[in-house]
Amino acid sequence: MKTLTSFLAMVKASLKMFIRNKGTIVFSLLLPMVMLSVFGFLSGNSGPSIRIGLTNHATSQMAVEFERALVQVGAFSIETLTEAEASDALGKGHIDLHVIVPEKFGVMEDGQPVPEQIETRYNNGKPQGAQIANLVISQIVNSLDRKFTGTTPMLEVRTSGVTVNDLGYFDFVLPGILAMTVMQLGIFSVAFSFVAWKLNGALRRIQATPIHPLQFVLAQAVVRLIVVIMTASVLVGFGAWFFDFHMLGSYFDFALVCIIGALIFLGIGFSIAGWAREETQVAPVANLVQLPMLLLSGIFFPADVFPSWLQSITGYFPLTYVVDAMRMIANEGTSLWQLPGDLLGMSVWMVITYTFAVKLFRWE
Amino acid sequence: MENSIILSVDNLTKTYDNGVEAVKGVSFTVKRGEVFGILGPNGAGKTTTLEMIEGLRTITSGTVILDGINAGENPYKVKERIGIQLQSSAFFQNLRLTELIEMFAALYGCKVDPLALLDDVGLKDRARAMVKQLSGGQKQRFSIATTLVNDPVVVFLDEPTTGLDPQARRNLWDLVGQIRARGTTVVLTTHYMDEAQYLCDRIAIMDDGRIVALDSPSQLIRQLLARGFTPHTEVHAATLEDVFLDLTGKTLRD
Repeated sequence: MKTLTSFLAMVKASLKMFIRNKGTIVFSLLLPMVMLSVFGFLSGNSGPSIRIGLTNHATSQMAVEFERALVQVGAFSIETLTEAEASDALGKGHIDLHVIVPEKFGVMEDGQPVPEQIETRYNNGKPQGAQIANLVISQIVNSLDRKFTGTTPMLEVRTSGVTVNDLGYFDFVLPGILAMTVMQLGIFSVAFSFVAWKLNGALRRIQATPIHPLQFVLAQAVVRLIVVIMTASVLVGFGAWFFDFHMLGSYFDFALVCIIGALIFLGIGFSIAGWAREETQVAPVANLVQLPMLLLSGIFFPADVFPSWLQSITGYFPLTYVVDAMRMIANEGTSLWQLPGDLLGMSVWMVITYTFAVKLFRWE
Repeated sequence: MENSIILSVDNLTKTYDNGVEAVKGVSFTVKRGEVFGILGPNGAGKTTTLEMIEGLRTITSGTVILDGINAGENPYKVKERIGIQLQSSAFFQNLRLTELIEMFAALYGCKVDPLALLDDVGLKDRARAMVKQLSGGQKQRFSIATTLVNDPVVVFLDEPTTGLDPQARRNLWDLVGQIRARGTTVVLTTHYMDEAQYLCDRIAIMDDGRIVALDSPSQLIRQLLARGFTPHTEVHAATLEDVFLDLTGKTLRD
């Protein structure tokens, strides 16, 4: 009972000093939120649209229908321009395609439609979007043509777009950013403060009291876990509220992965803190450990863009297991117990990091 | 209870892993309620001796009995009974003095009134400050306050006045007097002979891991004079420090 009270007092005091440190709030909350926002805005519109400059000289019913059909194509963004403006915009790359509807388009003369041509111009250097647009425009013109002349089409294609779980890049990147934050919190927050306390004698002062110093280490770990859960809640809530993040799996499993991940990275942090004798040694070593994971564990983009020999190494990184488990739970609704590979990987890393931490830790 | 033994150290030695013999058989006793000083040049083994008594360092051989407890066998039990001020005592950042006092009290499983304790060491008006905002003298006084949270039977002060200005030093002497007046035994180390002479009932002088003399300051001086010692400087009725304090006053500057 007495032990529990003093342990809780230590957790309370440590939480206060941790949260009053401005750097903590910036790195564990503000920075990830800014990154999430940036990726959220980037992935908010569903892919880049094809920009079309439209010059309509005609006033016929058919020209109106043509324009309406164009506007209805989701992939197009239409701008009405004069011919001079449009050729200028095309030259500067502001539009991908210039569509000119001639004056006599869809006009009837003597009960017969006047044969006319819609002209499209595009930049030869960037044909991709324009060629797709041309196909779509030809289709629109053909269907208008058939309607006008009253012929029935023999062959038709029916297409429909299907939305599967509505997952986008944002759903991919949020677990990545969260895993990254958990890693940095785990490694840096204990490494820096413990080395500082070791050097300035604060750790020694704790040893002068009757509590076992391991209790103090444990209290620090508990504080970091509390902060990790807070950060995860804020980031997931923020992502769901503003950018429509989808959590398909269990929140409990997701939180559990955050905690397991935090414990692994705390182990790395304690190893560095135990080994380092000077504060200046912390940053280089911590960066040496975290940078490869940051770049190669598939935080911002899927790791399968890397050559397979590299993947066979990065697949064993602790961050890879953590971020994979988070994504499988959040994006695919998998339960943590259906991810034996990730569980095994994380357990092995837990054993490795704490073996190192115990071996390397020095109180002075 | 008067003159009963609170601390007895018997043939204490410390050999570090690298083979250095820091303490080579130290024996002494401290009486309840006295102020006991350990003096000696740097490297004499003062701090190592203290740390073995305090349960902070393992004992190579010898015994330490503090308030009836064997420090070598029960370091955590000993730590519950004593207050330790370390030579370089830094505290955690971002905590107010009251919060630190509360935390330290909780580590001993005690409850204290932080404001009353801070008042005792003259820091009541700085209760909401952080340690880094304190002056050198205030830091030392705060450090001593944290050693009192568990109402210890013995307080250990390792060079409590090193680096302080004369006013702060005198102020700390008063504080040691107050602690003694509570009936708490004080064991301290110092490099200042005037301090030892002013504060300590008895002193042990250490050199090269051994105690070379142990007695009250006046007895030690008498013994030296009896050996035919003549001082090589002329003796003034006042010291330079008296001049300094006369000119600048005794008021604390922090």
